[in-house]
Amino acid sequence: MLRLQLTSMIDVIFLLLIFFMVTTTLSSPESRLSTGLQTERDESARTADFEPQIVEAKLVDGAPGFVLGQRVFRDRQSLIAVLEELPKEAGVFVRVSGDVRIEWVAAALQACEDAGFERVNYVPAK
Amino acid sequence: MRIAPDHSGERILDVDMTPMIDVVFLLIVFFMATAQFAKLTKADIDLPKEQGETERAAVNSSVVINVTESGELIVDGDAFSMDRVVAMVRVELRNTDGDPTALDLLIRADRAASASAVNNLASRLVEAGVRSWRLGTAPGTGNGGDE
Repeated sequence: MLRLQLTSMIDVIFLLLIFFMVTTTLSSPESRLSTGLQTERDESARTADFEPQIVEAKLVDGAPGFVLGQRVFRDRQSLIAVLEELPKEAGVFVRVSGDVRIEWVAAALQACEDAGFERVNYVPAK
Repeated sequence: MRIAPDHSGERILDVDMTPMIDVVFLLIVFFMATAQFAKLTKADIDLPKEQGETERAAVNSSVVINVTESGELIVDGDAFSMDRVVAMVRVELRNTDGDPTALDLLIRADRAASASAVNNLASRLVEAGVRSWRLGTAPGTGNGGDE
C-alpha cells in the first residue's frame, strides 16, 4: 500500500502560485534609455575630428519642440527621419533645457535611439 | 525515502516531506523579502512612455533615484536632499574601482516632472564623477513629441 501525504505540498504549491500571481500583477514592466552624461563645459572642450550631432529639447515660441541646427521639429517622426540621414560615428548630444517636461526629454533620447545612434549623451543646458 | 514493510506485511512508501516543506517556505520568505525590496526602490512614478532600448540588459541597478512630478528625490522610499543623493552616489562610485561606467545608475523621473529637476541632478552627478545613467521608461506609445 502506497501512502503519500501530499496535502502539505499542495498547500505550499498553491501558496506559491498565489504569491507569484499577485506579484506579477503588481509590478509593471519597465524599460530603460542608457545615455552618457556630460555638462556643457565638457562638451565644448571636445576636439575630436568628428563633431557630434546636437539635438535640443526646449520650448520654442512657448511650445516644446526639438531643435537640430536651425530646424525646429514638433513631432518625433520628422526628427527621426532627419537624424537617420546624419553621420553617427561621433554620437549625439541631447541638450535638455529646464523648461520642458521629462516626457519630451525621453522622446528626444528615444528618437536618437530609433535613428540608430549608439552613443547618446544627456547634456543639461545651463 | 524509506520503504518498510508494515505490520500486515505490505510495502509502504514512507516519504518524509518535512525538509522539502522547510526549503519551500525558505523560498517563499526569500521571494517575499526581495519583492518588498523592489517595491521600496521603485516609487510610484508615472514614467515616460517610451519603448526604450532595443537590446535590453536584464540587470538590477545598484542605485535607483526616483524624481517625482514636483521634483522631489526619493531613494529607497525616503525623500533625500540633493546633497544626500550626491553623497550616496560618491560612496557607490568608490566601490567601482575607478571605473565610473561600472556604476549602474537608474533615474526614474515622472514624465510630467520639469527637466530642470533632472538637470540639477545631472549637473551634480557629473561633478561627482558619474559618466552615464539610465532613464527609466514604461513601454508604450510616447507622449512627448506626439502632441
